[in-house]
Amino acid sequence: MPSILPPAERRSVVLVATYTAVSLLLLVVGDHLPVAWTRGVGAVIFEPFDRVVLMGDRMFAAWRESEDLHRRIVQLELDVQRLRVEGGENRRLRAQLELPEWRGLPLRPVEVLALGGDPTPTTATLSAGAKAGIRSGDALVTAEGLVGRVTEVWPTLSRATLLTDPNMAVACEVESTGVNGVLHFTLSPTPRLVMTAVPLADTLRVGQELVTSDLSLRFPRGLPIGRVVRIRRDENGLMQEADVAPSARLSRLRHAFVAPGPVDLTTGEPLKPRLEYEPNRIVPLPAARRAASLKQARLDSLAAVRRRAEHEAIRQAAAAARAARADSIARADSAAGGRR
Amino acid sequence: MKPLGGFLVVVMVAMLLRSTALSSLAARGVVVDVIALATVIWALRHGDAWGATLGFALGLLSDLDAAHWLGRHALVLSLLGYATGRLAGTLVRDSARTQFALIAVAVLAHQLWSAAFELGRDASGLPWLLGRALVSTVVTAATGVIFLAVVRRLLGRSVFAHASGSSATR
Repeated sequence: MPSILPPAERRSVVLVATYTAVSLLLLVVGDHLPVAWTRGVGAVIFEPFDRVVLMGDRMFAAWRESEDLHRRIVQLELDVQRLRVEGGENRRLRAQLELPEWRGLPLRPVEVLALGGDPTPTTATLSAGAKAGIRSGDALVTAEGLVGRVTEVWPTLSRATLLTDPNMAVACEVESTGVNGVLHFTLSPTPRLVMTAVPLADTLRVGQELVTSDLSLRFPRGLPIGRVVRIRRDENGLMQEADVAPSARLSRLRHAFVAPGPVDLTTGEPLKPRLEYEPNRIVPLPAARRAASLKQARLDSLAAVRRRAEHEAIRQAAAAARAARADSIARADSAAGGRR
Repeated sequence: MKPLGGFLVVVMVAMLLRSTALSSLAARGVVVDVIALATVIWALRHGDAWGATLGFALGLLSDLDAAHWLGRHALVLSLLGYATGRLAGTLVRDSARTQFALIAVAVLAHQLWSAAFELGRDASGLPWLLGRALVSTVVTAATGVIFLAVVRRLLGRSVFAHASGSSATR
């Protein structure tokens, strides 16, 4: 049967039909395909080009950054002097309260080679990998605060999922009051970081600083996240939520640091998530599933807060019992002395 | 097979620009849609088959980079590349107005298609996404026209001189 199209045109029609069919097939089954290795290959191929392209950008920004850094060093020197005194005081007070000693985080410097994701960057390719001791689950921070979390590691490179990935969630707390919540990024109605699952009974104020919570099993405690800029009730009216301005400048990521995430003290392995989701493991689409996950995170958060309150009550009761016992021993001693 | 070297260079340059220089702009809300721009210019120069192929390649790489919804960029960009290539033979490709209109339509289609995936069932983000698509369209179309004018000035001839156009005209 003779074709109605000329041969060259027929070829391109067949070609575009093939591309369309493959694209549609990928849309249907793509999320179930193991494609993480292709990103590893791509990162290795593009690494030298990324470095060349970034070199110009870095040199352009170096002079201004150098001035900023000198100013910042002076400021930090002053802060360090003050913090040394306060650190000593803090150690003594923690010892008196029988609280575990605060340990600093070992930080590994890394270069941000490329940002990926569309339209807002949601991932960053980092210049260090497993050979430099980077592990999946480590936190990515800058001098200003938390940026994301390492989710894929290759021998010499790694990839971090940024806070701007809507599938990422972080258990956080208000630095000054300890009010807990779950932080995540949303695109609707405008792209922003939102702290959710805050009970109405808890007091939130604009300007308060947020840090990672000690309830977090994904991030070390106390990393700065951002500042509360707006507070409102959530869509159900049962909880509060707050818009958060991030501490770290996600639009100008050049250098960052990788800090090890919390580990299980018995096995040394990264802790399994409870409050936060695992980025890249969740199929992002159905809104119902996302809502269910959020609901679960809220429930987990509430349960954790309840557990914490119970632990605190038990601790107070034990302290009261200890005090009563010491008091009764003292009274018995004085009574015995009086009889003698 | 003549444009194969150029094809690989365009793929590399577009992906590099997208992940380095343009990503900081994207984080500020100004998305220069370099992959749609590259697809349109390539399709105008090399015709529908190459246009569809470049669109598919750039789209697939973007999909793999984003890790979610594999095939969404590949589908729309291969169709845009094909459509632009088909039109290439019937248009005055060196006209700045034609270039602006073609790039604008392609970028708008690409951005709206991508926005539909981000939106899901929640329509509250629609105004912002539409605003972003419009900004992206204007910025990318203007950038594309300026880029083509600069290249023309530097080369001393049109980017589309001796171009193959639509496969139907070959």
